[in-house]
Amino acid sequence: MKRLRVLVVEDEPSTRTELAGQLAEHSSVGDVVCADGGDEAVRLLGSGIFDAAFLDIAMPGLNGMDVARILTRLSDPPAIVFVTAYDNHAVEAFGLGAVDYLLKPFRAERLAEAVARIDHHRSGPASAGEKADDLAVVQVELAGRTIFIRRDDIAFAEAHGDYVRLHSGEDSHLLRQSLTYLEQVWDEAGFVRAHRSYLVNLAAVTELRVTSTAGLVAVTGAGEVPVSRRHSRLLRERLLQAARNKDRSRP
Amino acid sequence: MIARSPHQQLRRRGTNAAALAALRLSRQVGEALADGLAGKHAGDAARRLARLLGADAVALADCDRVLAAWGRFDPAAASQILAETLDELETVTDPPLRAAPLVVSGDLAGGLIVAGDVTDAELTEAARLVATALDHADLDRARERIAAADLRTLRAQISPHFMHNALAAISAHTRTDPERARELLTDFSDYLRYSFANTGDYATVADELQAVQTYLELQRARFDDRLDITVQVAPEVLPVAIPFLVVQPIVENAVRHGFESRPGVGHIAVRGFSEGPLCVIEVEDDGAGMNPEHAKAVLTGNERGTGGIGLANVDRRLRAVYGPEYGLLLDTAQGAGTKATVRIPRYARGVLAQ
Repeated sequence: MKRLRVLVVEDEPSTRTELAGQLAEHSSVGDVVCADGGDEAVRLLGSGIFDAAFLDIAMPGLNGMDVARILTRLSDPPAIVFVTAYDNHAVEAFGLGAVDYLLKPFRAERLAEAVARIDHHRSGPASAGEKADDLAVVQVELAGRTIFIRRDDIAFAEAHGDYVRLHSGEDSHLLRQSLTYLEQVWDEAGFVRAHRSYLVNLAAVTELRVTSTAGLVAVTGAGEVPVSRRHSRLLRERLLQAARNKDRSRP
Repeated sequence: MIARSPHQQLRRRGTNAAALAALRLSRQVGEALADGLAGKHAGDAARRLARLLGADAVALADCDRVLAAWGRFDPAAASQILAETLDELETVTDPPLRAAPLVVSGDLAGGLIVAGDVTDAELTEAARLVATALDHADLDRARERIAAADLRTLRAQISPHFMHNALAAISAHTRTDPERARELLTDFSDYLRYSFANTGDYATVADELQAVQTYLELQRARFDDRLDITVQVAPEVLPVAIPFLVVQPIVENAVRHGFESRPGVGHIAVRGFSEGPLCVIEVEDDGAGMNPEHAKAVLTGNERGTGGIGLANVDRRLRAVYGPEYGLLLDTAQGAGTKATVRIPRYARGVLAQ
């Protein structure tokens, strides 16, 4: 996909440089153009098309909300991400169709999440690929025999070279498939990325545990799954959502 | 055995009914005045006072004018007698009106005006009844203000000691480990954001434990390997609503009193899980512990030492929300560490996280 052309609008020079610098490090980001305020941002909008705009909210002159309102009138508006130190504008921000809302100071992994959301937003709703049920049962070869494993019995999946190791109960099986592919296909079935090399089944998680030595792990019946800092927020959110849904469906 | 004539029995029943009616009317006057003289039920209070006194009309006034009335009054005459009773601070008669001042805990709050066949003694008692009801209403409002202030106190109670130590630890990392320093600064920012958040009185267990983890990360930056932390949570309790800032003060207490004052490695374990219809949160440390008598004093708020205020505050808020059986439990002994347990219903009526 074409790399993103990003506009950064922020009146504080150090934060502006920092944000632009961090954005430029992302592989999916191409050009980063900076504006020191709303007025300059509007002027720059005439100079080309942007895929995304990171807007500070409190600025002298035109503020971030004003710029966002102007952007939403464009025929092909950029994806808007608000960046602010104080979180009392969130409702209004999402009312303006913002893709994300970052709180300063932000973590690198949180910025990565925002960039991923922009990518997702640009590519539109996921192209109707395979439905989750296509792999509700997977087929693995074991010593010349073919066995079938139900997706819902799998506690977690671990990347293993060109293969993925599927863990269920005491057993584990190798499947010739990429973790990224399984992540897409099994997303709706409740499998979430916990780490660069792990997908975990939300329904199999019995406990989240943080220790000073081992960091965060998700405990399942088939073993412990490491959770990287980068994925911890989303995993927690998905677990919370899953628990809520379960509560709701009680008799 | 004493035999009673039918007449006596009848009379007795009659008196009982009258007493009952008077008691009921007094209670209803009190309830109607729960929002004060300017409240929307003050007119109701006037009507019930009129029935209680057998008066033709009753008016309740503050120090300026009549706020609620039942029955007919000549407005000019009523203003006149109100001014007189407020000036003289005693009962004034100007047929057909009588008025008495309302003195609520030593302060002049207004006046009670009646028309009809009411004696001075009856009027004075009625004025006392109204004054007591107003005093109760004030106390109730004060209690609500205290509950809200309890939470504000906790928010404002971020210890300067902790803030400066955290900043010092971050500063110390800037040269040797800039990435870590950056992480710690975002942790510090998250910690402040959560502690100062002013959206609602409840959070989810997920948010509360996340805040605890952030706090412990900052503490670990100070003590490094000397502080060993475990936070465990079962997914089913993540969405449970819990009063805001309940777990964090307990953890802060564990660090301050269980660990900081004692040499060697300290372990702090925080666990959240469900137990039938309850959500249980335990905070356990292997620190200095305390004498159980002292723990009791801390919970009742009689121990005015540092940190005690936080635990008493948490205990009081838990009881206020869920009832007296859901207070904070402390299991401790001198030198044996401390285990604090919070047990709350997973689903409580009227308790919703924002």
